[in-house]
This record gives sequence, structure tokens and C-alpha cells, in this order.
Amino acid sequence: MVKYSYLIPLFPFAAFVINILFGRRIKKLSALVAILASAISFFLSLAAFIGYLGGNGSYTVVRWLDFNAASLNFGVTIDPLTCMMLLVVSSVGTLIQVYSIGYMSHDLRFSRFFAYMALFMCSMLGLVLADNFIMLYIFWEGVGLCSYLLISFWFERASAAKAGMKAFITTRIGDTGLFIGILMLFSAAGTLNFKALEHSSGNQALFTIAAFLILCGAVGKSAQFPLHVWLPDAMEGPTPVSALIHAATMVVAGVYLVARTFWLFAMHQPSLIWVAYIGAGTALFAASIATVNNDIKRILAYSTISQVGLMLLGLGVGGYSAGAFHLMTHAFFKALLFLCAGSVIHAVGTQDIQKMGGLLPKLKVTGATFIIAGLAIAGVPPLSGFWSKDEILSEALNNGHPVLFAIGLMTSLLTAFYIFRLIFLVLFGKPRSELHPHESPATMTIPLSILAFFSIIAGFVGSPFMNHAFQNFMVFPQESYIPHAAGAVHLVMAFSTLAAFSGIGLAYSFYMLNNKILAYSVRSKFLFLYRIIYNKYYIDEIYEILFINPCIRLSRLSFKFDLGVIDAGVNAVAQVTVIIGKIKSWFDKYIIDGAVNGLAKTVRLSSGLLRRVQTGLVQNYLLIAFFGLLILIIIKFIKAG
Amino acid sequence: MSGLIQQLNNTGLPQEFMLKAIFYIIAASTVFFAIRMVISPNVFHGAIFLALALIGIACIYLYLDAEFLAVIQILIYVGAIVTLFIFAIMLTASIQDRTIKQTNEQVLLSAIVAFVFLCFFVTIIRRNPWQAAASKAEGLALAQLGRLLMSAYVLPFEVISLILLAALVGAIVIGKARK
Amino acid sequence: MIPQSHFLILSAILFCIGLFGALTRRNAVGILMSIELILNAANINFITFNKFLGSSDGLGQVFAMLVIAIAGASAVVGLALIIAIYKNAKTIFADKINLMKW
Repeated sequence: MVKYSYLIPLFPFAAFVINILFGRRIKKLSALVAILASAISFFLSLAAFIGYLGGNGSYTVVRWLDFNAASLNFGVTIDPLTCMMLLVVSSVGTLIQVYSIGYMSHDLRFSRFFAYMALFMCSMLGLVLADNFIMLYIFWEGVGLCSYLLISFWFERASAAKAGMKAFITTRIGDTGLFIGILMLFSAAGTLNFKALEHSSGNQALFTIAAFLILCGAVGKSAQFPLHVWLPDAMEGPTPVSALIHAATMVVAGVYLVARTFWLFAMHQPSLIWVAYIGAGTALFAASIATVNNDIKRILAYSTISQVGLMLLGLGVGGYSAGAFHLMTHAFFKALLFLCAGSVIHAVGTQDIQKMGGLLPKLKVTGATFIIAGLAIAGVPPLSGFWSKDEILSEALNNGHPVLFAIGLMTSLLTAFYIFRLIFLVLFGKPRSELHPHESPATMTIPLSILAFFSIIAGFVGSPFMNHAFQNFMVFPQESYIPHAAGAVHLVMAFSTLAAFSGIGLAYSFYMLNNKILAYSVRSKFLFLYRIIYNKYYIDEIYEILFINPCIRLSRLSFKFDLGVIDAGVNAVAQVTVIIGKIKSWFDKYIIDGAVNGLAKTVRLSSGLLRRVQTGLVQNYLLIAFFGLLILIIIKFIKAG
Repeated sequence: MSGLIQQLNNTGLPQEFMLKAIFYIIAASTVFFAIRMVISPNVFHGAIFLALALIGIACIYLYLDAEFLAVIQILIYVGAIVTLFIFAIMLTASIQDRTIKQTNEQVLLSAIVAFVFLCFFVTIIRRNPWQAAASKAEGLALAQLGRLLMSAYVLPFEVISLILLAALVGAIVIGKARK
Repeated sequence: MIPQSHFLILSAILFCIGLFGALTRRNAVGILMSIELILNAANINFITFNKFLGSSDGLGQVFAMLVIAIAGASAVVGLALIIAIYKNAKTIFADKINLMKW
């Protein structure tokens, strides 16, 4: 079955083609096409997974380019990381697309939405199946394109169009770094195949630099500091898009990339620890912003940034399986959170949580699943989030990074705080404005329930109850999973549970008691700090001044140059041509035509003179005849002498 | 001519000289009349002068032993043709106006042409040595002329009659009033 | 008694006068009259040669008779034409009848 795994991205691609070409005709049926394709991909992924369990798999499909020293091929590789990613992406993707039937049912470009979703599924699945850097980069750009298309799906809104551009340009910066890193690896090792690179030797300095550049790409795509600015703005897109791309799958592409090239980072320690630092810093930073934001989706966006930071933290301290574990659980509960948010928005028509409140009685399914997801992300045992976060924290502590452990713990506390702030403000209390909420249709609530179920149980595969099956599965090659000492494990468990519950408790006391008086008083005391955090530490404004304005000015200058110099040159050439044309026309008109006309005039004049001979008077003719005769006679006379 | 000469012989005048003189007088007057004819502003007068000139020519025919032709000339030419001319002149009614110019602009050129022709003719005539005939032919008697016309020259005679017929028919057709 | 050349010179003079008249007269009838004069000059020539060449077949005289007949016929037709033209163009001046001009 592994052999046919290259079909996995092809079904969604076929769905994309069908939906793009025939979408207008089949309208609602396009959803069925896309979902069917995703479902088939899911089953094929399952088959590949089972196949992998039976044997091993890395399979080259197509020879593409052949240089003298190397060749670039398209190939698939099936290893634990790929299997997990395939299953997560296809399952979550299918569920979200089912949800979209209900969410996007009133949209005019319904079929095109599903076309783009199918294209995204194809690109993401291709990304995780790639066995070499070139194929990976191609699909990397593919997901970037789909992200752009889907963020600015409602392009009639200027904010959506701008957000799409921002996302694309920001990730481009990271992608450029990634590409240079790929080129460096190619020049150092002569091949781009992952397996071959692993076992190659080359200029180690180049490898190190390449590692940092790959980290660049990961930072861009996964929205880590300092390239995180596009993700909150990407919330302009429809909520299913945010759920699928900017929560569960695309943003974790960076994490996947680091995991895929883990050997590269592992060989050059400074790069690995930088991964951890960036992840940890971003996690704390983003969590802090999420605590004071008032837009549902933006809170969840910053939450995503924070959780991805945690994943990178896990990878960075050497916890290969920990990071992957958190990736899987996060996909489920983050997608669920976004879909619940979408359901709430669908119900009340606004995204501002200050206008919401007391929605739980009306939105029963949505509310219940919302709470489950909140518990999962907060890390409350025995839900999935607890197990995965715990793994990360214990890896951090046990591999000798106490500071990073502390940061991770702090982040967990803040995570619990802000997520339950969100839940209390939206679902509990009294409605703060005129709302007429209605529960969403079944196409929306059934995926919610399924995701909630997975949010609860997904963690068990990595827990001691199943003997750490996940970690054993997800081993870094040539290593095996060594569980940590029991005491350390329990310590970390205690700490993380404490962090979770204190976060929930704080949120409760701030936002449920005494009409939020605690919240207001803290805010007024730390108003200055509040302002900074509320404005996202003014990062966007700083970027605007430092980078964007000079860039715009440079482009304006180039435009003026182009207009003034280059266009002027071209115009001058054109003018010369025009002048030459005028000279030619003058020549043609006066000299050539003059000659022809002159000839005609000469004929006319001469004939005009000649015609006067015909006077019509007989006597004139007679005279002329006799005159001629006379002349003849005279000539004869003179000749005869 | 010989009978006349005999009569003149009886009068006693130098007959040769007289005949010669009369000839030159008649010739000169013929030329004079002809010139008057082509110059006269009044075309009616021109017709009269034509008649006179033709009569003069008839007299010259007498000197050439062609009596019958002289009579014919006067009968036909002067009697019929000039009458016809006068008819035409009357019909075309342009004799009243004296102020109309009767000669067109090419007078000078045609005078030159005519004069040069004249010089040419005279030169040729003078150059040629005309020898008198060995035997002077008698004038042709009328009977003989008639006989010749019916035997040797019958073809031209018939053709002439045809021409006259054609001219007659043509004149009638042309002169007919169009409907 | 009168030499042949004198008759011929007379004929030549009359011919040239007739030619001059044919070229210069405006009146169409005048032109015809001049042409009659030319014909008569030719007649004098015929008769002169008839007498002075000495042949007995009288060809000159016969020819002169025929010329007279033809001159008559031509005068008839010409005058008929002139009258017809006079009816149409209301003029008999030759230099006014120039429909065939350029």
C-alpha cells in the first residue's frame, strides 16, 4: 500500500480541477466532490499507515531533472512523521470541509471555496509526503498560495485583500531564507533527498548556516516572532480557513520542517537551541497578547502562535516525539476551537466578545464542545492537551533547560487564563448586547462533536496507559524512546496541572465574580502595560516604519526612474521613428508624387495645347492641308533645284 | 473662230492683233470679276460677279475652238447653277446686313498660301517648253461630240446620269422638313 | 496666236483666286461659289490641252462637260445642305458652325 501513497495528494488535486472547471455548473455538488476526495485521501493514508506498520517505505516515483552530479526526483517517503501528519491533515481537513457546507452555504463563490480547499489539501499532503527538498519546496509554495487565496477569499473587503498580501509577503521572507538554505545544502552535499542528505558529509559550516536558514522558513510559515504579524490579520478569511490552515495544518508546516530536518539541527547544536529559544519566546509573547484581545478569532490566532511556539520548544530541547505529539493534539482541539468560534459568529453575527455573553443556554452543542476544547488546550488532565504539553515540559526540564521549562509553564498558565476568559465572556454571564443566537445546522455541529471526541482521547496514545505507544512509534531513527524517571514525570505533571487550574481559577475570579471588578481594577492599575499589550507591543507599527515605508518609497523612486528614464528613452526612439516617418511621407508626397503628377500635368498641358488644333472650322482644316501641301512642294522644289 | 476671222479679215483691221487684244481684255476682266467675287462683302454681289466671270470663261472657250462648251457653260453654269446660288442666298437671308464681316481671320495666311501656289504654278508653266501641235486639230463638231459621247465615252455618261440622280434624291432628302 | 502657256497661266490665276476665296469666305454659299471657280479653272486647263495636244478624240471637251455636270450636282447637294444647316443653326457663317470643335 505504501507504493500507492503518491495517490494521496492526487485525489484532492482532481477535486480541485473539477471544482475549478465545472464549479459554476455543479454548484453545491462541488462540496461533495471535495469532501469525497479528502475522505479517499484519509482512507489511503490509513492504508499507508497500516502498510508502514508492516514494513518500511520510501519510494521514488518520477525522475525529473538530471544533472551530471545529481538528479532531482519526485518521490514519497513514508515514515512515522509522515504517517501521523497524513492522518491528522486528512481527517481534520475532511471534517472541516463538512463543516464548511453549512458555514459557506450562503456564499456566491461556494464551489470556488471548495476548489481552493481541495488544492490546499493536495499541497499539504504532498508537502508531508515529499522525500526531497525540491518537492517539499514546491508544495510549501503551494500551501502558501492556497493560504493567500483563501485569506482573501472575500476580496471585496479591502481588509481581506490586504491581509492576504501581508500573509504572502511575510511568509515570502521566510521562504527566501528556506530556499537559500536548500541551495546551500545542494552545493554542500550534491543531493536534496532527505535520506541521502542525512548520510552525507560536506562542509559543516554550510550545513550550519543552512540549518539557520531553514529555521527562517519555519519561522515565516509558522508565524513565530518576528514574522508572526500575518497570522492575526489572516483571520479576515472565513472561519473554516482559519481552522484548517491557520490552526491545524499549515502553521505547523514549519514544525514539520524542523522535525523532518531534525538530524541537521541535532548535528549542529546552536541551531537546535535557537529553535527552542524562538519557540519559547514567541509562546510567552503571544500568550500575553491573547489575554487582553477582544476579538474571538484573534485570541485564537495568538493562541495558535503560542502553541506552535511550544511545539518548537519541544523540538528544540530534543523532544522529537514531544513536539510531534503536541502537533497532533493541538490540531484537534485548535480546529475545534476555531469551528466553535465560527459557530458562535454564525449565530450572533459579530466577532467582538465584548458584545457577547450568556450564549451557553442557546448554543448547547457549540458551547459544550467549546468548553471541552478549552479544557484540552488548558492542559487539564485527562484530556489530550495535558499529555502532550506535559511531554514537552518534562523534556525541557529533564534535558537541562530549566529556564525554558519555566517559560513553558508560565505560558501554560496564561493559556488556561485566556482561553477560559474567552469561554466565560462568551458563554456565561449576561448578554451584553442585543443578540438572537440560534444553534448551527447539523453539518456544522457533527464535526464539532467528532473533533471534541478526538480532543478527549487523542492524548491517550502517548500516555503511560498505552505505554507511550506514540513516543515509541515516533522515534528519531537510530534512537529509541527512553521514558523519564517516574519522579520527574510526576513532578512535571503536578506543576502543569497546577498551572492549568490556577489559570482557570484566575479567569473565573477576574471575569465571573463581582461583575468583573477585579479585571477592571487590575487594568486601571497597569494601564500603561495594558495599552502596550493591547496594541500587540506595537510590532506592526514598528515594522511599518522600519521596513514598509522605505520599501514603498524605494518602489516609488523606481517607478519614477522607469517613467522618466526608461520610458523617456523608449519614447525618444519612437519620436525618432515618427520623425523619420514624416520625412519619408514628405519625400513620397512631394518628390515621388510630384514626379508622377508632373508627368500627368505635362501630358495634360500638352494635350490642352494640342486640342486647340481641332477648331471645328472646315476652313482651318483646309488651310492646314494646303499649307502642308505647300511645304511638300517647296521641299520638292528645293531638292529638284 | 475661223469664220469670225474671215469676217474680220474683210473689215481690214489687223485681225490677229485685235483677237489677241480682245483675249487679254477678256482674261483680265475675268480675273477682275473673280477677285471682286471673293472679296465682296455682299454675297449677292458676289454671285453676280461669279456669273460675269463665268461668262468671261465662256468667251475664252470660244478662243479654244470649243463653241459647244461655251454655250453649255453659259446655259448650265450661268443659267442654272448661279441661279441656284442666288436662290440659296435669298433663302438664307443674310444679304441685308452690311456690317457683318465676310472674310474670316485667316486672310493673311491664305493669301500667302494662294500667292505661293500661284508662283509655283507660273514657274512650272513658264519653265516647260510647250511645243505647238503638229497638226492643229479642228474644232469638234457637235455631231461628232454626240457620237463620241454615245460610243467611246458612254460609261462616264451613264455614271454622270447616276450621279445626277443621286444628287437629286439627296437634295430632296436633305431639304425635307423633319417631322 | 495665243500661246498655250497664257491659257494655263490664266487657269492658274483663277485657281488661286478660287482657293483664296474658299479659305477666307465666311459665308458658306460664298465658299461654294469659290469652289465653282476652282472647277472652272480646271475646265480651262482641260480645253486648252484638248486643243493644243492635237488628238482627235475630243477627250478634253468631253471631260469638261462631265466636270460641268458634276459641279452642278455638287452645287445642288451643297446648297441643300447649307439650307438644312441654316434651318438648324440659324446661321450660314462657316466659322460659327463649330460643333466638332474640341
